[in-house]
Amino acid sequence: MTTPTRRALLLGGGALVAGAAGLTGRRLWLDREPPSPPAVDKAGHLLWQNWAGTEQCWPATRLAPTAADEAAHILKTANGPVRTVGAGHSFTGLVPTDATLISLDRMSGVLAHDPARMQATVGAGTRLYDLGPALAAIGQDMPNLPDINKQSLAGGTQTGTHGTGPGFTALHGGIVAFDLATPRGEVLECSATSNPDIFNAARVGLGAFGIVTRMVLQNHPLTRVKKTTSFRRRDELIENWDALSTTHRNAEFYIIPFSHWGQLITHDATTEPVRPRGPDTDADGVLQLKQARDLFEFASPLRFWTSDHLIGGMPDQVAIDEGWKLLSNERPVRFREIEYHLPRETQIAALREVIAAIETHRSDVFFPIEVRSIAADDAWLSSFYGRASGSIAVHAYYKDDYRFFYTLIEPILRRHGGRPHWGKLNSLSHDDFAALYPRWNEAMAVRDHCDPEGKLINRYLSRVVRRG
Amino acid sequence: MKADWTVPMIALITLAGCHAAPAAHPLTPAQAAARHPADARLAALYDTSCRACHTSADSGAPLSGDHTQWDARWAKGPAVLLQSAVAGYNRMPAGGQCATCTAADYTALIAFMADHDQGSSQ
Repeated sequence: MTTPTRRALLLGGGALVAGAAGLTGRRLWLDREPPSPPAVDKAGHLLWQNWAGTEQCWPATRLAPTAADEAAHILKTANGPVRTVGAGHSFTGLVPTDATLISLDRMSGVLAHDPARMQATVGAGTRLYDLGPALAAIGQDMPNLPDINKQSLAGGTQTGTHGTGPGFTALHGGIVAFDLATPRGEVLECSATSNPDIFNAARVGLGAFGIVTRMVLQNHPLTRVKKTTSFRRRDELIENWDALSTTHRNAEFYIIPFSHWGQLITHDATTEPVRPRGPDTDADGVLQLKQARDLFEFASPLRFWTSDHLIGGMPDQVAIDEGWKLLSNERPVRFREIEYHLPRETQIAALREVIAAIETHRSDVFFPIEVRSIAADDAWLSSFYGRASGSIAVHAYYKDDYRFFYTLIEPILRRHGGRPHWGKLNSLSHDDFAALYPRWNEAMAVRDHCDPEGKLINRYLSRVVRRG
Repeated sequence: MKADWTVPMIALITLAGCHAAPAAHPLTPAQAAARHPADARLAALYDTSCRACHTSADSGAPLSGDHTQWDARWAKGPAVLLQSAVAGYNRMPAGGQCATCTAADYTALIAFMADHDQGSSQ
């Protein structure tokens, strides 16, 4: 009797074809471009949207002051909420306002420098990709830069943006002094000796204390570095992270989910001859991981096998050049991100849980998980306040669902004592922050003094600075 | 009598050849970076927003002035391109990170990058 077998084969084959077609159709449906918000609202105001597409608004007024006095006047007279925008790279709702949006683009560039102290006075709107060559021209360097360098200096420092290296603070750790225009109409010089409370509270200030118009940066001598990018077994990276992070000047690694591999990136000072970086391969690499996800989302063993064969045996990449040319990268594939900064002692335990959670519950995730380290600093609202930290960042493709950040990832990171990056997605509110930051109440008192009418507070900041 | 179309056809082909745009060649990032809008205000907006991605091959953005990358986009028409610039599309972030650009600014910046503006400096 062969008929039942033949029928079963036909039915089974048909089911397989139908299943494959169904999965393909599902993926095509999920991969469509997200709907765009209206470019103009009913009142004719143009759309503003952040890089990630998570926040938008239609401000009635947009202004770009050229000087601190002008910024102070705007703050005193404009309709609130008055929010300041740099490059729009924050994922959180720091910028949206339907009233007044202020750009710092006309306050940029290196304004003065002190070669003896290795310091530079810089317009707060300077984009980091412009700051690197401008500092290099005067023999100075920022030895720690974020992975992306499209941000403005003010936007980066006000949100505690960082790079990696246990010997380096985040960007704001290099601020020696800054000028702050406040809604009172004042321009305050702030440093460790001049308005020290404002200096400590507003250095990482979320744009909630006023507008930082320029800052003095403590830089380092311009240095040539050797960047090495290598694929390593992920167990090796995780187990050796302490040694790796202290052996190299800057070290970070990415865990590639649904594979046994990770990518280690190190930077070390060198005198070797310049070897310029080659074309970026990260964007193609991420899209290959997406293809593996698209094909094998519901067949994890096949996905591991495919990823391992794609990655295993890939050669190291080496580039040698000035640090500003190598530390940051192009990230043209848009994404959404959650990042928490944890005590170094709990970072690896938290990382293991995050990997397990993703590989157990979220087969749609394909972006690598980013792991970095950063030194402690003393800015009251810095996520690194008072403790050396280890960072864990999880990303989601911009077309994919990212709500699992809040339900699956954030509980792990919070349980291990993490504080969220101010510019990246999180669900925390006032009471949570108050419990995480020892100087929270003092910082809020300073904020209320600088902005007594709450002119700088938009809907998102209301959740942050005002008790539930 | 059979019509002889040879002469008119040659004339048409010759005319078409005379009016055809020269074949576009890809630009290098350095060539793209050397271009600046002639208008000073527009140049300032371009410098703090578009330039970072549209002069970098790694960004995936069409290089400024490169007809091989822009012509197909330009053919979509100004309304579509403006919508993509303001609201974002694929790798293009909304607004191109320009917080003070008006709709007219975006239109002018797109025309400059597509090399369909009235003048640019190099």
